Amino acid sequence: MRIHLQVYDFANGLRAMAHFLVISEKPELFLPVKAIVDTGSPETILGLIDLKKMRISSIRFKEIESRKYPICMGGGEVKTKILQGAKLKFGEDFECVMPVHIPVDEIGGTAQSTILGVDFLTKNNFKFVFEPNKREAYFEREDETS
Amino acid sequence: MEQKQELQILKGFERDSEWFHKNVNKLREQNFTNKFVAISNEKPIASDKNIDIVIKAVEKEGKNPAYIFIEFVYPEGFTLLL
Repeated sequence: MRIHLQVYDFANGLRAMAHFLVISEKPELFLPVKAIVDTGSPETILGLIDLKKMRISSIRFKEIESRKYPICMGGGEVKTKILQGAKLKFGEDFECVMPVHIPVDEIGGTAQSTILGVDFLTKNNFKFVFEPNKREAYFEREDETS
Repeated sequence: MEQKQELQILKGFERDSEWFHKNVNKLREQNFTNKFVAISNEKPIASDKNIDIVIKAVEKEGKNPAYIFIEFVYPEGFTLLL
C-alpha cells in the first residue's frame, strides 16, 4: 500500500508533509494535523500550534503520562507527555494506533512544527520515499497478503 | 463522529493547508509575516503574533479551532531546522 504525501516549500526548503487525524478517547481529542516527515526524529511529537489548538484543560493535561526523560528539540530541551493509544488516521485507507508526544512547554518561543518521526515508519513497516525535484513523497509497504 | 464527517474535516484542513503553502508569498505581501494565520475555506480569518489570540479569534468566528488550519508565516529566506 502507498500513502501519498504533499511536498511543499516551507520555511525555505522543500518538505514532505503528511495530513492526518489524531484521535484519542482519553483525553478526548479529535485534531486534524499537518506534520513534517522527519527521519532525523526518532519520535512523533506535536508542535506548538497543535498543542494550543487541543485546548486541553490543565486538569486533563496532568492526567496524561509524563515522559521520564526530556527531548532536545529546536535547540532547546523540553519535557513531554505521552498520549498513549492515539489513533492516527490517514484518509479512508489507513490508520494506526501509536504513542504521540506532546510538549509540556513552548520551545524557545518558536512555532515548532508537528513531526512525524521514525517511530511511525517502524511501527507500520513503511519505507519513506522522497523525491523533492519531482515534488513527490510517499510511504509504502508490501501488502500483507502478497 | 461518523467516518464521513471525519474525512470531510480532514479534507477541508488539507485544502486550506494547500492554499496556505501556495499563497504564502501573497500572505507576506499582505503583512502576515511573523504572525500565526488561521485559514478557513481558503481565506485568512484571523492572525496575530500570539497564537492564543488567534485561537480566541477563531472561536469568536463560531469555529472550532481544533479543525482550522493555523500556521506561522516565516519571513522570506528564514530557514527552519527541525
